[in-house]
Parts: sequence; C-alpha cells; structure tokens
Amino acid sequence: MARQHDSGNFARHARSVTPIRAIATGVAVLLAVGACGTAPSKTAAADNSKPLVVGISLPLTGDFSQPGGEARKGYEIWRDQVNADGGLLGRKIELKITDDASNQDTVVTDYTKLITQDKVDLLLGTFSTLLNFPASAVAEKNKMLYVEPAGGAPKMFDRGFTKLFFAQQATASHQPDVFVDYIKSLPESERPKTAAYPTQDDPFTTPVIESMQKQLEALGVKTVYTTTYPADATNFQTIASAIAAKKPDLIAQGAVFEDGVGLVRSLQQLNYTPKVLFQTSAPSNAGQYSDGIGKANTEGVFYTVSWNEKAKTPNNAEFVAEYAKRYNGGIPAEDAADAYAAAQVVQAAAKAVGKIDQDAMATWLHANKVETILGTLAWDQTGAPTSQFLLAQWQNGAPEVVAPKEAATVDKVVTKTPWQ
Amino acid sequence: MTQLVQALVLGLLIGGVYALMASGLTLIFGVMNIINVAHGALLILVAFLTWKTWSVTGIDPILLAVVMTPLMFGVGWLLYKGVLSRISGSSPGMSVLLTFGIAITIEGILNVTAGNKFRSATPSYFSQSFRILGISLPKAQVYGCIAAVLVLGLLYVVLAKTWTGRAIRATAQNPSGAALIGIQASGVAALAFAIGTATTGVGGSVLSVLYPFFPASHYDWISRLLGIIVLGGMGSLAGALVGAIVLGLAETLTATYVSLQWSTLIFYAVIMIVLLFRPQGLFGSRLRQDVMA
Repeated sequence: MARQHDSGNFARHARSVTPIRAIATGVAVLLAVGACGTAPSKTAAADNSKPLVVGISLPLTGDFSQPGGEARKGYEIWRDQVNADGGLLGRKIELKITDDASNQDTVVTDYTKLITQDKVDLLLGTFSTLLNFPASAVAEKNKMLYVEPAGGAPKMFDRGFTKLFFAQQATASHQPDVFVDYIKSLPESERPKTAAYPTQDDPFTTPVIESMQKQLEALGVKTVYTTTYPADATNFQTIASAIAAKKPDLIAQGAVFEDGVGLVRSLQQLNYTPKVLFQTSAPSNAGQYSDGIGKANTEGVFYTVSWNEKAKTPNNAEFVAEYAKRYNGGIPAEDAADAYAAAQVVQAAAKAVGKIDQDAMATWLHANKVETILGTLAWDQTGAPTSQFLLAQWQNGAPEVVAPKEAATVDKVVTKTPWQ
Repeated sequence: MTQLVQALVLGLLIGGVYALMASGLTLIFGVMNIINVAHGALLILVAFLTWKTWSVTGIDPILLAVVMTPLMFGVGWLLYKGVLSRISGSSPGMSVLLTFGIAITIEGILNVTAGNKFRSATPSYFSQSFRILGISLPKAQVYGCIAAVLVLGLLYVVLAKTWTGRAIRATAQNPSGAALIGIQASGVAALAFAIGTATTGVGGSVLSVLYPFFPASHYDWISRLLGIIVLGGMGSLAGALVGAIVLGLAETLTATYVSLQWSTLIFYAVIMIVLLFRPQGLFGSRLRQDVMA
C-alpha cells in the first residue's frame, strides 16, 4: 500500500481523458448495436494488425488515488517499452484504463463492462485488496486471467479461484517472515524481549502484524500491548502514551501512511524511542515519510517491501530510468513497480503460451516461475505467491535492503537512534 | 488517575481544533441553509498553501494563519458572489451538489498543480511537548487549540456584539423580517459566507502542522466535521464546540480504556442517541429562536 512521489501528471490524464473515453465508449456501443451482431472479438484475436487491448480499472480518484496513479504509470511504461520492442505476440498493446474512484461497486461495473462490452483481450488488476476482491470475482466468473499488483490479504486466496494471481512475493501473512528471520538470526541477548503491536484495521496490515505477533511470541518475545485502530484515526497521542507506559523493546505497527507518521510523531512528543521499530508500508514512501517525521528520525526504521530501485532484476534499471525521464527525475513508487511486474507476468504467460488463451495462460502460471523487476515470482494453486518480501531499513536518510542476502543493497543493519 | 487526566486534556485539545474547523461550516449553514461540503477541501487548500509557504520561507505555519485568513475571506466572498448566490433560495440539497462540485474542483486543481502526495509542515516544535505534572501536552496541539479559542472567541464577539453580527443573526432567524428593517440579505449572506470561509484560513494552517494531508484528505475531514455539527445542532456555534469536544473525548477516552477502533462507532452512537431525543441536535432549536446569544 505504498503511496508516494509526484503524480501530478496522472491526475491531469485522469481528469481529461476519462470523459473522452467515456464518450468514445458510448459511441462505440451505439455503433456496435447499430451493426447488429458483427461483434468482432473472436476474429480480432487472430488479426495481427489489431492492437491487443488490455482492460484495467484503477482508483484514479478518491482514497486510493495516490497508489492508483502510480500503478497507472507502471502500466503505461510497460506498454510503451513492450510496443517499442515490437509488441506482444506481434501486436501493439493498447491500455483501456477506467477510473473506479476507489469504489467497490464501480470497480465491478468497470471490469464487467471491459469484459462484456469492450471485449478486451487481457485484464490487469486494480489496486488494494478492497478493490481486487470484488474485481477478481468478475474476472473469474468470465474466465479471464486476472493478475493483480496489490492486494495480498489472505482472504483473496481462499475462494478457490483458478485465474487469480498476486504479482508480489508473498501474501500479507507471510510478509513479516523475512523480519522474523532477522530477529531469529540475532543472538538471544540482543533480541527484543517485549513488543507492542498497534495496527490499522486494514485487510493488508492486520494479517501482517497478527502473523508477526504469533511468530515472535513463539520465539519468546513477550507481547505487552496490542490495539487496532480505524482507518480514519488521526490522533495517536493516546496510543503512544499507552505504548510508552509499557516500555516495549520492539514496536511493530501495521501502518499505511498517515498513521505511521502520526504514531512516530506522537512517540517523539513523549520522547519514547523503542530499540527496534518496524512499520509495514509507511516507511516505503521515501520522501514523504522522511519529510513527515524528520530525516534524522528515520535512522534504523525497518519495513518490508516488494521492490527496490537498486535491485539487479531483469528490466529494473530500464524501468527506473524511464520513470525518471518521464517524471522529473522521480524514483518510482513501489506501486508503480508492482503494476509493471504484474504486466510482466501476463506478458510472460502470453509469450509462453503463444496466443491469448486465458485457460492455458493460467495453467502455465501455476506451473512456472516468472522473472520480474521484483525478482522471481511463483504461485501455488490458489494464486498466492510463494517467495519472500525484502526487508528494508532506513540508513543515513535513505532506504536500503538488508535481507535476504541476495537482494541486499548494504551489508549491515544499523541500530535505531533516539529521536532527535 | 494520570491516565484519565491525560486522556481528558488531550481530548479537549483535539476537540478545540475540531471546533475551529467546524465553526465556519456551522455558521454558513445557520445563516444561509447552505451545507458547504467544500469546507473540507478549502481546509486542505489552505493547508497546502501554508505548507508551501512554510517550506519556501520558513515562516511558522500556524502564524501564517494571519495571512491565510484574509485571503480565505476574499476567496469566500468571491465564491459566494460568483457561484453560490445563484442558488440562494434553493433547497439545502442543491447547495450540497454545488459545493460538492467545488470540492472536487479544488481536489482536482491540487492534484494537478501540487501533485498527489502527502505533505506535512514540520516546524521545530512539531515533535515536542510541554510536560506538566506528568501530563504531556504536544506543543503543536496546544498552539492549535489556542488559535481555535481565539477564533471562536472572536466569532462570538462579532456575532453577539457588533451591528454586522446582529444583522447576520437577524437574517438567520427571519430573512424577510430582516429585509423589512433594512438589512440587505444578499450582502449579509456574502459576508457570512466569507467569514465562514475565513475560518478555514486558521483551521487549514493548524491542520498542516498536526496532520499529514493530501488532496483527497478532504473527504475524511468533511465527514468528521458534518458529524460534529449534526451532533451540536446545525447552525449553532456553541453546538459545534460541544460536538467537537465530544468527538475529541470519544477518541481519547475510548483509545485509553477500550480501543481506538471503537471511537468512531461511539461518536456516531452518541449522535444517534442525541438525535432520537433532540432531532435538532444539542443546541439546534435554541439557535433558531435566538441564535447563540
């Protein structure tokens, strides 16, 4: 759920393009009705001169507009790079992106329309478990492959779907594994003895923190405080004082963004620094996180992340360079990278199968691994990924990857410094 | 005991800031029957302008309210004269549609010009607290609350003690009666809207320090503020203050003794119970008869 970096451009697109698209679609529907039954989707699939249309609905406005806008950038960069390379299966890729306004009902309407009226060739997922949960059901019902870039709550994968794939390394409940492994690797005397677990009531953060608590308790780390707070919570002083009173060695927070910044600020106001601080996604919002809590205060903060701009994965350097070129030298948000990776997964499946065959592509993905800018991804029968997240830590004002070893960008872990 | 005092004090500080943000909303409704859904977006607009000015010049963000308030007074005046006056006399439902449009426009403009990312002003005191007898008072929250008390006090004095205030109250109570004794309704409405909007100048500056924000944050704020003024009685300044403090206390007390997760539920449960017995809100009907005098 990372939200970051400048995305002024996408908003301009969102607001000017969508109405035109809507009108264009309306006209297209009228023409199709007028032509009475000449719907060309079956024949078009084999015609190389026609573009390959990929249907996507994204939260370009509303609560998730930030990550939604970033995901759009990721998809667009992928489209342009593939097209510059001759397209997919010899056909140019065209994206049909609609705005679901961060609304569950709209996202269902959007995907239904993309599949049944626009008859798109392929689908790509939207952003967040909240939206992907209903959207993936539409895709499954219509027997369309559905690869989604962000939506790793465990409940996504217990519905017996066969065409759903999550294009990150692990589901939410396995996200903390890499951090727990790090704690395990410490000598007994250096491990935290006590821990506090505040988390936002969010399908993506709660399972991470619950799973971490369970695993750390098994290691002998005593839980001294847990709380769940609602998504609209803005004042964290009370939670911070309750935590400070318990003096935990470790604070592990299921934080989306504002709540992560809010809790750290409140802990600063109380002058309580834990020995170890872990937050789920808030610290991955590079510049905005350090602006929000003060750069000096970021030192030593841990988080897990799916992607890093310095990672030596296939196409990553090209992706980072292209993003910087388009968006004033900006570093891609994790969400942009995740979207790009989801598109890479679909691309790999189409290439391997050699044609657009939704069943065959899904079967292939269940059986094979795909190299993406996030690293190698593989899935179980439910479409849940089976790899591990990266463990990142803020060091000297910049985020670095500290584990697993093969992806690490630095070779040491630093200790948390007191608030400045 | 310390825990209880700490929760009460924090609840009051938070409530004070909420009251500041809700005051303009309730004033505008009281005088004109306009439910200004754009109030939250105006707060975010000011928060952004404050953040920008602070990051370029380093001037204290809360002090910048001195500049933002007259600026927003002007914006409010123009908005009323240019747009809202055209629906005067229509139902409040119409004003919801129109001001929602304004809110989306402001959000869109901020998205395009400022970028869709989180900001927060971090002057040196943002992470510090005053400590009194084991109670911790976050400095930013204290300054914000002082600003709130000043603004609410000033609004009260203007409405209760000045001719202009009496004209505004007269129009709120009985527009035709006020017109009969020579109060120009359209001028008063524009003035009330401008004053109501001017409060976002202070509210937004305080918001920029206390809470990280991005263009779409206004949805959270407007829903919270509408809850406050419905509880207090729409149109009542005193009601907004009480509603805001109830929300502030609901947040800190539930977070201390139950779980913050319940605070929203408890706040809306309080609203429901109050509305069952007083459909006009806590201070609603009293206002209709004699405003908050």
